[in-house]
Amino acid sequence: MRNSIPTAALSEFVNEVQNTPEEAVMEYGIEINWESGTRSRTETKAMKVGPHQVSRSFSWKSDEPRQLMGNNHGANPQELLLSGLGSCMMVSFIAGATAAGIQLESVRIDFDATLDLRGFLGIGSNATVGFPEIRYTIHATGDASEEEFAELHRKSVAHSPNAQTILNPVKLNGAIVSTRIEG
Amino acid sequence: MSNEKILGDPSSKSPRHTADDWLNTLDRARKPGPFLADHAAPGSGMSTVSVHAGTHDDPRTGAVGTPIYQASTFVLNDNQYQSVEEGFARDRFIYSRYGNPSQWAVQEKLAALEGAESAIVFSSGMAAITSTVMALVDKGAHVVASSDLYGGTYNLFNQEFPTMGMSCTMVDSYDFDAIEAAIQPNTQLMYFEAITNPLLKIIDIPRLAEIAKRRKVRLVIDATFAPPVAMRTLEHGVDVVVHSASKYLNGHSDLIAGVAAGPRKLIDMIWPRLLNYGGSLDPHACFLLERGLKTLAVRMRAHEESATALAKYLEGHPRVKKVFYPFLESHPDYATARRLLKNGTGNITFVIEGGDAAALRLVNALRIPKQATSLGGVESLISLPFNTSQATFTSRQRADVGIDPGCVRLSVGIEDAADLIADFEQALAAIYAKKEPAYA
Repeated sequence: MRNSIPTAALSEFVNEVQNTPEEAVMEYGIEINWESGTRSRTETKAMKVGPHQVSRSFSWKSDEPRQLMGNNHGANPQELLLSGLGSCMMVSFIAGATAAGIQLESVRIDFDATLDLRGFLGIGSNATVGFPEIRYTIHATGDASEEEFAELHRKSVAHSPNAQTILNPVKLNGAIVSTRIEG
Repeated sequence: MSNEKILGDPSSKSPRHTADDWLNTLDRARKPGPFLADHAAPGSGMSTVSVHAGTHDDPRTGAVGTPIYQASTFVLNDNQYQSVEEGFARDRFIYSRYGNPSQWAVQEKLAALEGAESAIVFSSGMAAITSTVMALVDKGAHVVASSDLYGGTYNLFNQEFPTMGMSCTMVDSYDFDAIEAAIQPNTQLMYFEAITNPLLKIIDIPRLAEIAKRRKVRLVIDATFAPPVAMRTLEHGVDVVVHSASKYLNGHSDLIAGVAAGPRKLIDMIWPRLLNYGGSLDPHACFLLERGLKTLAVRMRAHEESATALAKYLEGHPRVKKVFYPFLESHPDYATARRLLKNGTGNITFVIEGGDAAALRLVNALRIPKQATSLGGVESLISLPFNTSQATFTSRQRADVGIDPGCVRLSVGIEDAADLIADFEQALAAIYAKKEPAYA
């Protein structure tokens, strides 16, 4: 199997979706509970893969470093954001390479990003609240030419759901349910 | 030395991809199989299908019938290497744990009988069940299953599942509200049996399929007691049908085998579990199973004929308290049986006067049925739940699931009904004629 992905099954899934588009609809959810201070715990909800329910029993914690009033017990939300972005770009890169017949030997993506917390802190400045820029480098080895890898890079970002979510405006529809506890 | 012939399913090709596009140009679509060769449907009647589907005469000699390909491994060429690289190794001959022409032949016959796109044979019914279940669940998964499952399957859910961090809720297969209520967000599978053992309840599979579809859960049915000819289970909206092929499908009580059949998509998901768990069926057993299947339709008719006559006889016998046979009007699920079953089977369960001691004397007094567990063979087999299938239960636990003292499990073979009736007549007369010794 090339890159440990069955190309035949990938191709069969593509052709299945062309005939039954509902098979391409994925529903996800997570639940985050505040534990203490800046630390919280995330759990995945069951997922829907097309018209079928799939158990997703995964959890992780996030925290801030002590310098930011946390205890440094987990990756922080910015690292998790980069992780979600990069892992998605990785899936896209590997799937694209497999479809194109490229045998990969190694792939590493290096991410760096700088955040100016003045936005978060509300200190007046020109700083954006979010990342103004995310920098990454893909280090790939495999049996493709420089041009083929460049094309794969371009296509894989263009088809990465998380990269496209970050690059394009997305609606964030929220609500709050609050209960006042009388002291 | 290089041999470029396709050794496998000749219609299965490598996915091609147009360099300028993305994944959308991959051109391999799923199709039924794998099959040894294009094989025109020989007819639609179940007897014709039983005899001809999947059976491939030897292309080299013209010998009639599928040869026994008693080989563990196959000569490899570029086509097979490519199939491994591209992920369609199920469609090529590489190694017999992955696939073997003897397996493919009997799989094609079984798929045709079930009306399935694909089937896999296994080294036992439990290998088929475990591989199928494990293919359809993920970490933390939950299963809703029948509360009167076959003991082997019960053990999978009760003993193995918790070890793997998975769980199962067992519910009364008549109670559709309880089944729905048991479905959780992490439920991936509903697992039921078409006809239960030993009380021969006929489960309303279309109703289960409706629930499964609406709640986005897969439905797997063990149809060991209702083989094709009696029921084509997939036609009722079931995702995967599994069988112990050691029973009616083989029909001769001379091998252990299992099968899972369904859409190619799901059977292709089960195939890696066959490789990982290793429950592959030996080519010689495949040959026996394929040969046994050729007479499935005619055997099922004979089972129904003899079983119906014997069930009626038993129902009229003064010493027999209850008879469970789905085609008797007295059966609680008679209407469901008439709706779902196209043919009867050989299983009869009955309760005689005098409790388990009398039942034990009966099985010893019979000359034709052999005292043995299993079912679906050409020879009648008889056993008692209290000392076999439900031996670990207390008598109260047996009563709770409806197994009364004196309960007898009978699998009627294809012997003549008149001989079976005469045998039961003499045995029942003999056991009740004897006065019980005072110390017994």
